[in-house]
Amino acid sequence: MNLSTKLTIAALLMSGVSTQVLAQQQTVTVMAYAGLFQERYTKAVVEPFMKANPGIKVEYFPMPNSAQMLGTLRAQKAAPQADVVIMDVSVSKAATDEKLFNKIDEKVSKNVADLYPNARIADVDGVAVTFDNLVMLYNGDAVKDAPKSWMDLAKPEYKGKVAIPGMPDIQGLSLVLIMDKARGGTNYLQNVDKGIAALGEIAPSVQTWEPKPEVYPVIISGQAVIGAGWNARAQVNADTSGGKLKTALPQEGSVFQINTINYVANGPGKDAGAKFIDYALSPEAQKAFTESMFYAPTNAKAQISEAAIARTAVKSMDKVIPVDWIALAKVRDPIMEQWRRKVIPLSR
Amino acid sequence: MSAATAIAPALPPRRSRLGLIVALLAPIALINAIGFLAPVLNLARMSFYEVEPTGAMREVYTLATWAKLVTDSFYAELIVNSVSVSLGITLLTLVCSYPIALYLHRSSGTWKTILLVLVISPLLTSAVVRTYGWIAILSDSGLVNNALGALGLPPQRMMFNLTGVTIGLTEILMPYMILALLAGFGRLDPRIEEAASTLGAPPFTIFRRIILPLTVPGIALGCLLCFVLAVSSFITPKLLGGGRVFLLATEIYDQAIVTLNWPLAATLSILVLVIFGGALVLYTRALRAIL
Amino acid sequence: MTDQSTAPGQGLNGAAGEGFLSIRGLTKRYAGFTAVDNFDLEVPKGELVAFLGPSGCGKTTSLRMIAGLVPATAGRIVVGGQDLTTVETHRRDMGLVFQSYALFPHMSIARNVAFGLEMRKVPKDEITRRVKEAIALVHLTGKEEHKPAQLSGGQQQRVALARALVIRPSILLLDEPLSNLDAKLRDEMRNEIRDIQKSLGITAIFVTHDQGEALTMCDKVVVMNEGRLEQVGTPVDLYERPKTAFVASFVGRTNRLKAVAKDGAAEFAGQRVPAAGLSGPVEVMIRPHRIALSPAASGEGIAGTIARAIFSGDILQYDVDVGGQIVSVELATRGGETVLAPGTQVSLSWRPQDIFVYGAAA
Repeated sequence: MNLSTKLTIAALLMSGVSTQVLAQQQTVTVMAYAGLFQERYTKAVVEPFMKANPGIKVEYFPMPNSAQMLGTLRAQKAAPQADVVIMDVSVSKAATDEKLFNKIDEKVSKNVADLYPNARIADVDGVAVTFDNLVMLYNGDAVKDAPKSWMDLAKPEYKGKVAIPGMPDIQGLSLVLIMDKARGGTNYLQNVDKGIAALGEIAPSVQTWEPKPEVYPVIISGQAVIGAGWNARAQVNADTSGGKLKTALPQEGSVFQINTINYVANGPGKDAGAKFIDYALSPEAQKAFTESMFYAPTNAKAQISEAAIARTAVKSMDKVIPVDWIALAKVRDPIMEQWRRKVIPLSR
Repeated sequence: MSAATAIAPALPPRRSRLGLIVALLAPIALINAIGFLAPVLNLARMSFYEVEPTGAMREVYTLATWAKLVTDSFYAELIVNSVSVSLGITLLTLVCSYPIALYLHRSSGTWKTILLVLVISPLLTSAVVRTYGWIAILSDSGLVNNALGALGLPPQRMMFNLTGVTIGLTEILMPYMILALLAGFGRLDPRIEEAASTLGAPPFTIFRRIILPLTVPGIALGCLLCFVLAVSSFITPKLLGGGRVFLLATEIYDQAIVTLNWPLAATLSILVLVIFGGALVLYTRALRAIL
Repeated sequence: MTDQSTAPGQGLNGAAGEGFLSIRGLTKRYAGFTAVDNFDLEVPKGELVAFLGPSGCGKTTSLRMIAGLVPATAGRIVVGGQDLTTVETHRRDMGLVFQSYALFPHMSIARNVAFGLEMRKVPKDEITRRVKEAIALVHLTGKEEHKPAQLSGGQQQRVALARALVIRPSILLLDEPLSNLDAKLRDEMRNEIRDIQKSLGITAIFVTHDQGEALTMCDKVVVMNEGRLEQVGTPVDLYERPKTAFVASFVGRTNRLKAVAKDGAAEFAGQRVPAAGLSGPVEVMIRPHRIALSPAASGEGIAGTIARAIFSGDILQYDVDVGGQIVSVELATRGGETVLAPGTQVSLSWRPQDIFVYGAAA
């Protein structure tokens, strides 16, 4: 074999090899929350996924909130850049209505069959990937005994030191729903007067309805000493603050906030997106993330450690009030008006 | 006369001069069209889209959002509130800035440079950082209330309400007002003040009859600038308002980011643009009346 | 001819302010230098007095101290028997005309002129009448509603004058009011101002660096140099009897020649000139047109050689070399004379009262 033939064969072999390698290298773009969520999700889910799938690269595209994710999806409709989106369930509904997603069912991932019933939401193409719940927050140095009721927020000793993210934020809305039920309200979709009245009692004690940058540092620093927040972030902040921040699940109960995972239609990664979704819904990914950030898992088969389970609402499901966020969206405006007319004026 | 025309360069004939003007204006017109006009027109179009309570938007036209704006008294209150709060803040900023600007105008040399740097340096810090600074100063356990407590005086609620927003926004806007005023002080001449003095005008009359009228162009400019900045400010009211201060800008933010009613956010944005247009018209009318 | 001039340093400390405007020991000191040093002056009512001197001599500072715009470091300012030294500017009842006119740009001419009357709370109809008069006085009737920017420099100056006069001030102060005008306008305005001042009988102070202005307009001239009063007197006094070298050379043209004085006389080109009380180096001054020139043969005066001859129509000027120094001689032309050529020997002579001798710095 002369030199030129050898070189030709070598070139052919190499091109063959490289196309094979190229055929295997895929990229999945995941659009999800920035900050703490990004940090923990990457470690718990993204990295193990990449390890198990050497041919797939995951690009994490962080966004500050669900609304901006929707805006990005809308802008990119003609040529989507993302494959997988993790966002709040109500935003996911909007995106579904705008036909931005493919439906996630057993064909996309077998794990869908193992999800809790309330993880699959009607008329939404995505499925729940995390559950979070509202908890009471307090500064361990200033408040000695763990509060037992949400109405402890109205106690005179906390006057001017209460920090609650108020409406239109879901946390304020959640508190209205919780108290409405606790005081005998029967249909929150029609009437939440009792809940509004309860918030009206808490209102005079509130220092701020918009703790910035978040409610957790405000309570840790002592600027406020008691308030409400999301469990997952509260647990992480409790650890990082050396125990200064404490949480409590009051007797009136709580509500779930649902983050869904969604499959973008015509995404660049093609079926790699489905592979990622499948992994994200798997028991091991769910276990890893729950134990890292204390969101309640959506896969019933996930084997969570006892220590982690205790810090989520999994064992207190009976205290969780079911909320149809999609239907609630229709009456959100009238509730907001009541908030403005009846709660705010009482607040200092 | 003939000597003058012989020296002046010959101007190109009318038509190619027009072409030259168009060519020179074309780049900025293009940038303006792409960066400003197109998005605003897009926004205007979006205000007519249909939207579901969940936030899903359809490219179908409806007057529902505009109707809501007109019929719901909350929005009328919002507009009145935003305009009056912004006017109040503008006035407060003017009153606080005028003496500083006048003093700066009258100083000279190194001292003037130092003062100018002090006035402008807050602009080098982000408005967010400065706003947090105000929280530290005005909150219930902040500097001012600590001082009041030490003096045996009762604590004042100056933060997470309209008071906090007013004070914070005024301070943030002062550098802009001072610079605008300084630009307008060019017409002031110490000799004119001296002339008024020799004619029998005591200091306050000189201020009222001479200085103030002469500086009206600077005042008008500063007020326009600060009014526009105040109406469009949403970070400071959100951080300092404690969820109690409802302004157009905060409402736009909430509708766009939290409740996802983009058509409503677009409608309110167009409304803000209309308010700006109105302010600009008032400004030009006022200037024409004075000068 | 009585000598009404005052020598420098000789204040009127004895007399208790005979003038309508009495300035005693007025001084202004800044850190490092003295702008006005011990200025004394008495100005009778109705007189137009010029403060004359080069820039930086303190004339404007003195005027501004009289107006109250600059606080005096020391001294007293008394007007009509009233001590105004510590009174604020707006209560001094003076009218000031600025070099830059300082009209109020945002007001019409009529309102500019009315301003001082408004400050004095004069009733409205009287204001209208007096403003009309004042504007007519400066020949600007018809321009009442114009704004200052629409007027020419000369017109603006007249408005400034009207504005200062309409209030009938006790004293009218003018700070180089004509410096910004062209020559022709300056001449016109000079006469107008003088006429108005005389017809109103108003006491006025006129600051200028132009000796021609001072001499032609004013009753008395105060010559100032480096903050100090050099001489006060009528224009004739200053011209004919200058008390210091500075006044002699500042007012009118003069030759400046060097000589040495000994035993009360200075020897200059073979002639002895009286120099009472002086010894050492002196300056000898004589005006060019007070020198008579005759051919050398006449034997009178001092001998010199013509260095240059300059014919300029009205004047025939000879630069004559006398003992190494050049003496300029000006002769009025009469027609028909021969211009002497350079190198011609000539004789120069003068009257004793036309030659001044002053001590010179070494």
